[in-house]
Amino acid sequence: MRFAYIFISPFYLLFLVFGVFPLLWSFYLTFQDWNGLSPMSFIGLANYGALLRDSTFYDALRNTALYWLVDATLIISLALMLATVLQTRWLRGRGAYRVIGFLPYVTATVAVGLVFGMVFDQNSGVLNSLLKTFGVRPLPWLNSTQLSKIPVMVLDVWRATPWYMLIVYSGLQGINPELYEAATVDGASALQRFFSVTIPSIAPILFFCFITQTIDSFRLFAEPYILTGGGPGSSSLSIVQYLYRTGFTIFKLGYAATIGYALTFILFAISAAQVIALRGQGGVSEAGAE
Amino acid sequence: MTTIHVQKTARIHVRPRGPGQPGVARRLLYVFVAVWCMIALFPLLWMASTSLKPVTEPIGGLGAMLPKAPTLANYARVSEVLPLARNTLNSLIVASLGTVITVFLCSLAGFAFAKYNFPGKNALFYLLLATMMIPVEAGIVPTFIIMRRLGWINTYQALIVPRAATAIGIFYLRQYIVSYPSELIEQGRIDGCSEFRIYWQLVMPVVAPALAAWGSLAFIARWNDFMLPLLLMRSKDMYTLMVAISVLPVSEGLSTPWPIIMAGTCVAVFPLILIYLVLQRFQVAGLALGAVKG
Repeated sequence: MRFAYIFISPFYLLFLVFGVFPLLWSFYLTFQDWNGLSPMSFIGLANYGALLRDSTFYDALRNTALYWLVDATLIISLALMLATVLQTRWLRGRGAYRVIGFLPYVTATVAVGLVFGMVFDQNSGVLNSLLKTFGVRPLPWLNSTQLSKIPVMVLDVWRATPWYMLIVYSGLQGINPELYEAATVDGASALQRFFSVTIPSIAPILFFCFITQTIDSFRLFAEPYILTGGGPGSSSLSIVQYLYRTGFTIFKLGYAATIGYALTFILFAISAAQVIALRGQGGVSEAGAE
Repeated sequence: MTTIHVQKTARIHVRPRGPGQPGVARRLLYVFVAVWCMIALFPLLWMASTSLKPVTEPIGGLGAMLPKAPTLANYARVSEVLPLARNTLNSLIVASLGTVITVFLCSLAGFAFAKYNFPGKNALFYLLLATMMIPVEAGIVPTFIIMRRLGWINTYQALIVPRAATAIGIFYLRQYIVSYPSELIEQGRIDGCSEFRIYWQLVMPVVAPALAAWGSLAFIARWNDFMLPLLLMRSKDMYTLMVAISVLPVSEGLSTPWPIIMAGTCVAVFPLILIYLVLQRFQVAGLALGAVKG
């Protein structure tokens, strides 16, 4: 028996040192004013008060929520669509499509972020010259407070979809083919089979995707950092980017820790709500255990 | 068995439809797949093409798709701006060493969760799953301070050690090892194998495809990692490739020409794509696992 404890101990030791300890220390820091060099000074709940009045934080929160809702919707529906296409029985060259289709996930966000910066460039970007051939005037994708979130979303969807496609595709492999046969014999069309067999069978996997995509969305950092720097203004700033900037550009470490806690709390609340909502529906309760 | 089954269902599939209809559906599907592949490949091709353009050539517009006078000069220029060879070595060390260690520790823990019964097992496993909900970013300030106190800023271990064993990796490999027959483990014990030898000589060879599948995903994640290297690697010589190319746009004043930046991104992206193309056949093993999970 003791071998089991030894075998699993590395994870828990590392989690104590690099997970629990930072989180506890972070909590302590939320009550301090500290720039990392001079001594800390205790300021009570002032960081929390400041956070609640911080319009930049609300901007970042709103942006991140929007990234989450738009990206999760697009990514999961695209992933489902692509996985279904990939599973079509008579499709030739499936292996090749799977490999090519997965390439965006292999490509680093930072690298492709720079490419997208070039694609979305107002003056020399491919997108605007493409739009021009359709008679649309060039748009300031990266330099307008109204548009700057779009390139960030496109980048995230482009890169993350293949990952979820792979997960959904592996889920599709696990569906008992007899279910499809039975539905076909009953005269169900392809679309009906999709909604009455495919969707219910992989509902737990879709739920798993939704939860992971939620966490990933709230951790968004590299995309806006590379593409827009969070700007113009704070129109594309994400929470983690704001946290990073507060901690390591202007060195308000106590305040940055407070933002970190707000992020953890928000994520926890959303995850709990998702699990409760799913339990309430009764249907796929085992997914909650994932 | 399988072939017979596929033929049968295929016949059922086609029959109820009107003539010609499947043909249209097929063509539409192939168009869809073609568009999808185009979208997946376009940024990569655009990156490669731009990196070969002389800085004087126009980079915008569909007319400028291919370089008129391809040159490798940008690659020479970008390695003058940054120690790219060194950065590549850093990325290779961090990603490969990190992957080997994480595959070892995750499979060991996954094996323990799959094949042992011990007090607190369920609680520990739920705790493991719960840690996936905590964003590492939330504790990034103390993490930085810890690394500074340890003297690990600008060291490889700063990027390798914190993620040497990950919850998702343990979960994934446990799912796979569960299906390993327990009788064989019992047999091993009767034959006098130590517990570690059972893990190392009996279980590991059998689950090798899953290790490779997980290993390639772990390698991709580590190679592409950005936030922690950005925070913890503070000298040009210790930058990983991702950090290095992220500073490219501003490293020659405010206007590094795009072709030079793209030469940098190509160096950062294409080695990993090559490795992926070699390793991708192991993803099939990963797919089989998903079936177990579903």
